[in-house]
Amino acid sequence: MKRKITFILNGSEVSIETDPALRAVDVLRQDLGLTGTKEGCGEGECGACSVLVDDTVKLSCLMTAAQLEGKKIVTIEGIARRQELHPVQQSFIEYGAVQCGFCTPGMVIAAVGLLTANPAPTREEVRDAIGGNICRCTGYQKIVDAVEDAARKMREGHSGG
Amino acid sequence: MRKKSALDGPRLDALSKVTGSERYSADYYPEKFLWAGAKRAMIPHARLLAVHTDAAEALPGVFRVLTFRDVAGSNRVGIVRNHQPVLVDAIVRYAGDPVALVLAESKEILSAALDLITVDHEPLPCIFDAEEALKDGAPRVHEDNDGGNLMRAVSLCKGDPDAAFGACDAVAEGVFETSRQEHAYLETEAGWARVDDRGVLTIVASTQSPYRDRREIASALGVGEEKVRVIAPYLGGAFGGKDGITVQCLLGAAALCSGGRPVKMWWDRRESFLAGVKRLPSRMYFRLGAKRDGTFHALSCRLYFDAGAYAGLAGEIMTMAVEHAGSAYRIPNVRIEGYCAYTNNPVGGPFRGFGVPQVTAGMEQAVDTVAEKLSMDPLELRRHNALRQGDRNCLDIELTHSTGFLECIGELLEHPLWKDRQAWKASAPKWKRRGCGIGCMSHAMGYPAAVPDQATARLKLKKDGTFRLYSGVSDMGQGNSSTYARIAAAILDQDAAAIELLQPDTNHDLPSGSSSASRTTYTFGNAVIEAAVVLKETILRCAARSSGYDDIDAVELLPGRVRVKESGRFIPLSDIAGLIDDADRSQKGYFRAPHDDSTLAVLYLGAHVIFSYGAHLARIEVDILTGKIDVVDYVAVTDAGKVMNRCVYDQQVQGSIAQGIGFALMEDYLVREGRQETGDLATYIVPTSVDLPDMISIAVETEEKTGPYGMKGLGEVVISGCLPAIANAFHDACGVRITRSPLTRERVLSALGEREDER
Amino acid sequence: MGRVYLPATLETVFEILSREPSARLFAGGTDLLVRSSAVRRNEGSLVCLERVEGLSGISESDGAVRIGACTTHGELMAGGLITERFPILREAVRHIGAPAVRNMGTIGGNICTASPAGDSLPALYVLDAEVELHSAKGQRRMPLGRFISGPGLTALEPGEVLAAVWIDKDQGFNFHHFEKVGQRKAMAISVASMAFAAHLDGAGSVVRARCALGSVAPKVFTSQALDAFFAGKPLNEETLGAAAALVREGVSPISDVRASEEYRRTVAGNLLMRLEGARAAVR
Repeated sequence: MKRKITFILNGSEVSIETDPALRAVDVLRQDLGLTGTKEGCGEGECGACSVLVDDTVKLSCLMTAAQLEGKKIVTIEGIARRQELHPVQQSFIEYGAVQCGFCTPGMVIAAVGLLTANPAPTREEVRDAIGGNICRCTGYQKIVDAVEDAARKMREGHSGG
Repeated sequence: MRKKSALDGPRLDALSKVTGSERYSADYYPEKFLWAGAKRAMIPHARLLAVHTDAAEALPGVFRVLTFRDVAGSNRVGIVRNHQPVLVDAIVRYAGDPVALVLAESKEILSAALDLITVDHEPLPCIFDAEEALKDGAPRVHEDNDGGNLMRAVSLCKGDPDAAFGACDAVAEGVFETSRQEHAYLETEAGWARVDDRGVLTIVASTQSPYRDRREIASALGVGEEKVRVIAPYLGGAFGGKDGITVQCLLGAAALCSGGRPVKMWWDRRESFLAGVKRLPSRMYFRLGAKRDGTFHALSCRLYFDAGAYAGLAGEIMTMAVEHAGSAYRIPNVRIEGYCAYTNNPVGGPFRGFGVPQVTAGMEQAVDTVAEKLSMDPLELRRHNALRQGDRNCLDIELTHSTGFLECIGELLEHPLWKDRQAWKASAPKWKRRGCGIGCMSHAMGYPAAVPDQATARLKLKKDGTFRLYSGVSDMGQGNSSTYARIAAAILDQDAAAIELLQPDTNHDLPSGSSSASRTTYTFGNAVIEAAVVLKETILRCAARSSGYDDIDAVELLPGRVRVKESGRFIPLSDIAGLIDDADRSQKGYFRAPHDDSTLAVLYLGAHVIFSYGAHLARIEVDILTGKIDVVDYVAVTDAGKVMNRCVYDQQVQGSIAQGIGFALMEDYLVREGRQETGDLATYIVPTSVDLPDMISIAVETEEKTGPYGMKGLGEVVISGCLPAIANAFHDACGVRITRSPLTRERVLSALGEREDER
Repeated sequence: MGRVYLPATLETVFEILSREPSARLFAGGTDLLVRSSAVRRNEGSLVCLERVEGLSGISESDGAVRIGACTTHGELMAGGLITERFPILREAVRHIGAPAVRNMGTIGGNICTASPAGDSLPALYVLDAEVELHSAKGQRRMPLGRFISGPGLTALEPGEVLAAVWIDKDQGFNFHHFEKVGQRKAMAISVASMAFAAHLDGAGSVVRARCALGSVAPKVFTSQALDAFFAGKPLNEETLGAAAALVREGVSPISDVRASEEYRRTVAGNLLMRLEGARAAVR
């Protein structure tokens, strides 16, 4: 019962033949080889599978493949532009926001989603924005530091995003 | 040992992780692979009579269904006791025991097939409490275990504790219970495997212990060790939970029956919780006595640890707890008894802290109780009794290495959050109570004396003039491998980018122990230093000779090249690489950590000699309407020797505090009659970003002379301070003690209610 | 595997449902796709409502606001109209999950799931919300309190779809309070929650009050006697202590892995105490 599904993935149109009842996370990882999107729970509790759907942060483990149709999807692989890191990625590196790194793609997506909607978040707003992204390594502090720094960088006109 | 500043800078693994390009064990989907998955028993104790696989095998898309009959080797794993079945052949001892293994064309078919497998079994009586398990007549988990359900008992005695309590002016007594904490690493257990044309079984897995795994896999599956290769890519978290076999043997068994096709296994969250090891729950009886001036005089502890169904490293964890039960204080009269018992609960295993968080929670609450009885400042009391270098600890072992405990306490005494605590407490808003608590701790680094704590590193000058470093110790996220590369770069005067880093692969033949015991940077880092020093000398000697000098001081190593001092001429490293024969371009370094064999008489594995220390302060606000505890401020002072890289250092501190606060306030893997009740991340509660405060990390930089750049272990020490600091803060806030953790909202309200009733 | 439909109109939804009565409807997927394992996704069809015309968005008419059933919690929070008219609803929705969950989960889904712990429900009860139901036969409206009859139980008939929620614009409240108790502060499932709205007079006495509690009964707990009890009284410790006792008598919580019956009962009453001094908070 495969079906053709067409959508914009990281800036390019893709058409795939797949089972529409599969989860979006499986299609991205297994069919399309984009393993940057992680799965940590499969129940929407950890945020590791976060992707941008029409610029909004959503959980790809709770989406069917069918729902990708016609959407603009950005995964972690599409966050950097033309070999240049997004300021969020740059700040994550500089501020030590990365440890095991398994939550990192989802965290970066959540942070990019936040800064798109709110370019000057307070520290509390940053914490709220990543409230659904479980990190077991960092205690979140350096992630919050990094997102604040990225917001600063973006306001000051660094490229990316 | 020059250029310490070269150790600074961001982690080298961060770039591939922020771009999503790093490939973890879970990220491999090899061509034409099969999904493998285990059928779990879901019953806590039973005699297995039959496994019915026909319906599953008949399902289209199912390649094969395996049972214990398909496992050619011992079908047993276990680090200390080799008794945990790969696939159950006789007795199910806990709900997570695997009874069958399915290979299928898709994840969906796998899932459907697992549902079609049924078992016939004869239920056996169960035991779920460690202390009860040791009583006469308790149902036995292992019929062949001498001593019923007692897996291991350890005791130590110093002085005359019985008489000494009589001479004390204040005695604190308490029974403390800690929860079964789940690691909840983001990357659940995962890997893939295949058997190649030469019959070599290669397993890529998320593991802390590739070399030990290889041995276990070979014996369990009946394959020669030389025919097993284990590769450990970066792990998506582990914290001790991947120190040993998880998917490895199941993957291997599947790959041996897959007709040469690769097999992939990736436990979902529920299976990870069901079958993964847990921090051992404890019940601890503490008695601490002191003289009127606050001098500790006697300590007695009886510790019960629940190992669950199999031994794993549970006995060693309990022994580590015994070693640390008296924390870092001078106590002349001590009796500590530890018991580790088998039950039909989930298997206990290593988890950051390795038994120390449990006993530290008990001891530090007893210390606060003594302070209260003597009307002493709890921090001053700790300072009064703190171990210093040259003192003897509770095991009567002299502390000859760096010992900065006193300095840690001193930092807190001077901290404004400590000094102004009374004013802060007094300004609590309506329905809130505020408290400030202390938790201090020590943590031994490395393996005890009987287990050689050693490592071998290999560093190679490549033909192109760059370097390759072979890591022998897994990087579970703590950043040790980045540190290895920076150490090599610092010694070789190279840019870190010139060091290619390979993650552990048993084909590299560098058995260096597990990524555990706060030893990864200390032990392997020292081996890297030796390899780098030898390689540097090799390069310089070659460069000197080829330039007509005998003395290697005639040349100096620079990034990418060598400079001949006299002529100022530069020789690219690629040229030099061409002049050195292949064998000499690759150099090994070896290190074995200090150990004291005389301590073998004290504990069965011997004791440790190097410790890290810490002192914590927590300020909490208790909501008396709901029982909610907010950790408002948190200060962690740590002596883990010299700081090599402040960012990586604070990563360990902050991450440990986060897990420690989770342990203190919410984390409790609940099992009722052997069945998991908190089987997912919606019911097993870990802290989110809004549950944690910004934390203050203060480093007391003693110099550990045996450590690379003066450092010592940091990965575990910090977590032990959190529960006692918070529990003591709660007592400070509300005047009542909750002795069973975590301090959930429900337990808080109930404690407040009982206090009201008493008034 | 089963089919997944992505219909654009309600008519198409009705056609699918008449053809496949067992097909299951979902919007955000934050409930159904969590509960449905890979195996169950194999069986039967799924109908995703996210693109059905007329089911999304917030609009206002003369006396009421209509919230499309597929409006996400995130959209509700961002909608100025909700913040302005029904701050208690915004406050309740803010406590749901975390941003990604709020970007997916919908108000209609929260209602149709009919969980005792549904975070938006107590606020919707306080606001006397009505549901708009459509089927091939036509449409009907009913109060939310009648629509939900128990845990997971609603008055939705076969072939019927929840299309929108209606709330009267003029609620006449000048004070509101919402509090949720979970096991942590984000991604928390409610252990007890309370939505309270009132019209207070100049002296701080209650003219009219509405109180609703979540997670302490098979459905949202409300009580006319409780609401009436507040009338004419100031929100002081004495009033609230007595109200708390009424609540503790009235609720019928369960024990589960998150909390015991006793804790829920105690806290349900305790939550009332937080209203003390509410006069200062009147806007």
